[in-house]
Amino acid sequence: MTSSAAEVQANPKDSAPRAHWASKLGFDRFSGLYLIAVFFIFFGLTENNYLSWNGSLEFVLTEKVIVCMLALAFLVPLITGTFDLSIGANMALCLVIVNKMALETDLPDGLGAVVGMAACLLIGAINGFIVVKLRVNSFIATLGMSQVIAAVIRKIHNGGQITKAFGTNYINFGKKAIFTFHWPGTNSEISLPYYFLYGLIVALLIWYVLEHTPVGRHMFATGGNPEAARLSGVKIDRIAWGSLIASAAIAGFAGLVYSWKFGTYSNSVGPPLLFTAVGAAFFGASQLKGRPNVWGTLIAVYVLAFGIKGIGLRYPRQIDWMQPMFEGLTLIFAVALASRQGVVKVARRRSDRRDTPPTMAPSTLPVDDVAGSTPSTTPEPTGV
Amino acid sequence: MSKLLEVRDLTKTFPGQVALRAFDVELGAGRTHALVGQNGSGKSTFIKILAGYHQPDPGAWAELAGRSLTLGDGKAASDAGIRFVHQDLGLVDSLSAAENIAMGVGYPTGRLGRIDWRTNTARANDGLNALGFHDINVKLPVGMLAPSQRTAVALARSMFDWEANAHLLVLDEPTASLPGADVERLFTAIRLMKERGVAILYVSHHIDEVFQIADDVTILRDGQRVATKSTAELDHEGLIELMIGHRLERTLNTSRAQVGVAGGLRVSGLAGGPIKDFDLEVQPGEVVGVAGITGSGREVLAQLITGQKPSEAGNVFVHGRAVKNYAPSDSIDAGMAFVPADRATQGVIPLASVTHNMTLANVRRHWRGGRLRHKEELAECIDLIQQLSVKTASPSLPIGALSGGNQQKVLFGRSLRLQPKVLVLDEPTSGIDVAAKEQILQLIDRAAQQGAAVLVVSTDTEELVRVSHRIIIMAGGSIIDEVSGADMTTANVERAQLLTTKAAMK
Repeated sequence: MTSSAAEVQANPKDSAPRAHWASKLGFDRFSGLYLIAVFFIFFGLTENNYLSWNGSLEFVLTEKVIVCMLALAFLVPLITGTFDLSIGANMALCLVIVNKMALETDLPDGLGAVVGMAACLLIGAINGFIVVKLRVNSFIATLGMSQVIAAVIRKIHNGGQITKAFGTNYINFGKKAIFTFHWPGTNSEISLPYYFLYGLIVALLIWYVLEHTPVGRHMFATGGNPEAARLSGVKIDRIAWGSLIASAAIAGFAGLVYSWKFGTYSNSVGPPLLFTAVGAAFFGASQLKGRPNVWGTLIAVYVLAFGIKGIGLRYPRQIDWMQPMFEGLTLIFAVALASRQGVVKVARRRSDRRDTPPTMAPSTLPVDDVAGSTPSTTPEPTGV
Repeated sequence: MSKLLEVRDLTKTFPGQVALRAFDVELGAGRTHALVGQNGSGKSTFIKILAGYHQPDPGAWAELAGRSLTLGDGKAASDAGIRFVHQDLGLVDSLSAAENIAMGVGYPTGRLGRIDWRTNTARANDGLNALGFHDINVKLPVGMLAPSQRTAVALARSMFDWEANAHLLVLDEPTASLPGADVERLFTAIRLMKERGVAILYVSHHIDEVFQIADDVTILRDGQRVATKSTAELDHEGLIELMIGHRLERTLNTSRAQVGVAGGLRVSGLAGGPIKDFDLEVQPGEVVGVAGITGSGREVLAQLITGQKPSEAGNVFVHGRAVKNYAPSDSIDAGMAFVPADRATQGVIPLASVTHNMTLANVRRHWRGGRLRHKEELAECIDLIQQLSVKTASPSLPIGALSGGNQQKVLFGRSLRLQPKVLVLDEPTSGIDVAAKEQILQLIDRAAQQGAAVLVVSTDTEELVRVSHRIIIMAGGSIIDEVSGADMTTANVERAQLLTTKAAMK
C-alpha cells in the first residue's frame, strides 16, 4: 500500500492551493457583508437619515426580525431537501389566532400565543404526514397547504384589520427595551426590544442544532443525498417530518414577533413575505460556508433590507416598483452564484428507486414559481 | 494496418495540474484499441477532448482518415464520424428504446411534421438488428430492459447509420455494470463493427476484457503515454505493471482464523424480487462470495439482507439475533455494515466533506456533553484516511472532488469504523482502478481477520476468487452451486454461472 495520506496531516486546512484573488478577499463567501458596506458608504453619504439610528437603522434591525424568522423557517427544511412554502400562511395563522383570542375572549393574551403556536405545530405535522406518508412532493404539498391555511384564516376572521387587541403585558413582554442608550450630543436614543433577543435565541438554537448535533449532520446528509443517508442509517422520513414541524413552529414564532412589533392583524400579512424569505435562504447559501446556513441567511435578509431602505430614501417615489425588482434580481443573481459554486444543486440525480421518498424535490427549480404563487411580491409597509 | 486517427502532441492543462502531457496515439481502421490507466491518468480527459467537452492546449494536432481534425470541437468530431457511448449511457428510462434512439438522430416525420411512429419503430429495430441484438422490444420503456439491452440501445443510438458514416466508436467503461455473460454480447457487436472497418477505442478498468477484445493497447500513467503495444506482446501482470509503475503486491492472507466461532450472519427463508427461499450462513472471519448473472437474484441479494429493499419473507440474524429487516438503520443497529453497489447514488453525499461522509453512520460517537467534538472527529478521520490510504488534499474537501477509488475507500471507512459483526459488500470495486482495487481487497481481508462475517456480492469473478473462502453461485433466485478450495478458480466459477443458468432455465 502506498502511504499517500502522509500529506493530509501536513496540511489539513489547505484545500485550495491556488486560490483566486477574488476568493482570497472573500468576494464570493462574504459578498453580502461587502454589499452592506457598499450600501452604508453610498447611501450613508447621499442620504442624511440612512445611518442614523432613529432614521432607519432601528427600524430595519427590528422589523426584519420577522423576515429573519421566516427565512430560517424556510432554511430548516431546505437543508433536508424539503420545501416549505406554507410558512407565510403559517405565520398569518398564528397571528390571526393571537389577535382573535385577545379580541374576543378574556383569556390572557399569552394563552392565545400558545394556541397559535400549537396550531402551527399541528399544520407542520400535517405537512409532514402529507410529504412522508402520502409521498406528495413537498413543493406541491406545502403550496396546497398554504391555500388551505388561507381558508382557515378567513373562517377564523372575516377580513379587515384587528387593532389594539392586546393588553400592555403582552406587548411589553416582546416590545420592552432590553437596554436604552443615549448617544452623547444628539437626541438619538439607542434601544433594542426583547423580541430582537428572542429572535437571536431562536437563531442560535437552530445554528446549534444544525452545526453541533448529530441531528444537524443527518439533516445535511438527507438534503445532500437522501438515499445515501438512508443507507447510512439516517431515518430520513423522520428528518423530513421533523424539519417541517420545526419550520411551521418558527413561522408561527414570526407571527408572534409581528404581534409584538405591530400589535395588529391584517389579511395582507404573511404570505407576501414568503418571497423575501426564500430569496434570503438561497442567497444565504452562498455566504460564509458554501452551503445553506443560519448566519448567511440572516446576513442576506439584512443585505436586502438595507439595500431597499437606501433605495427607498433615495428614490421615494420609485420604491414601489423598485423593491420587487431589487428583490427578484438579487435572488436570481444569488442563486446563479450559488449554483456556480455548486452550493445549491440545480437538478437532483435521477433515482429510480421506488422507495426514495418524493420529498426530495428538485432544488432550485421551483424558485421561479414561488414568485407566481404568492399573491403579490410587495410586502408590508417597510417604513419607507 | 491502415491508419484512421492520429493525434500528436496533445497537452491539456487544468489550473494546478497537467492532465495530459504531449500525448500521441494512432488508431487503425478495423482495430480495437484499448486505453488503460488508473483513475486520474488522463483517459477521461482524452475522451472528453475528443468529444469536444474540453479544449486542448494549443499545439495539438490530429488527423482523421487523412483529413485534419479540430480537437475540442464536438461538432467537428461528430461530422468526422466519431461516435461515443459513455459509461452512464445517457438514456431516458421512461422513454422507449425507439424514442431514445430518435432522441439522438431525430424523429422521422410525415406530412405536417407529424412523427411517423411506424417508421421510427422499424428504424430502431433495424439499427439494433444490424448490431446483432435481435431480442429487444423497442416499444418498452428503456428502464424495464436488462443492462445488456440498455447498452445495446445506447450503442444503436450512437452508431445509427454507422455503416455509411461512422469511423470511430469510443466506448467508455461499457461493461461497468454488465455481468460476465452480457459482456460477450457487447463484444459480438464490437467484432461486427470491426469487420466493417470501424475503429474502436475501448476504455476499461477490466484487464481481462482488454485481452479479450483489444488488438492494441495504450497505457497512460499520470497524463503521459507509457507504452502502446499489441495485446499479443503482453500478459496480465505485465500490463498491470505498466499501468501502476511497479509490481503489485498480490498477497491476501486468506486465513479463516475464527471459522467455527458461533455467530456471524444467518439468513433463512429470505424472499423478495427474484429471490425465493434463500438460506445462507456466514461465520465470523469467513468471506463468502456471491456470483451469478444478472437476473439470478445476485443483484438484489445484498439489498434484501441489509434492508435497503424490504423483503417479502424470511429472517436475517446477526450473531443469533433477528434483525427487524425493514430499514437499513435497523440492520446497522444490529451490528451490520454495508457498502452499497452504486457509489454515486447510494453512497456518497457529494457536497459534504470527506470527514462528514466518513462519520455519517455513527456521528454520535463524537457527541458528548451536548455538542459535537469536531476536533476529535477530525482526528479520527485523519487516522482513518491514513489507514485506508485515501488520497485527498484535505479531510474537509468535498468527497465529490475525490476519484472513484478514493471515494470507495471513504465508504469502506464509513462501514469499518462501525466495527461490524457482519459486513455486506455489493460490487465493492466497481469502476475503480487497479491499485485502489487491490487496497479494497486487502481491507476486506483485514475485516474478516478481525472477526467480521463478510459477504461479497460481485460481477467480478476474479476478485471473488481472490478474496473469498467459498463462493456461492446463484441462479433463478436461489443458490445453485458452491465452490471452495482448489475448485475455486475464475474459470470454474464463470462456467458454473453459465451452466447453472441453463439448468435453472430448463
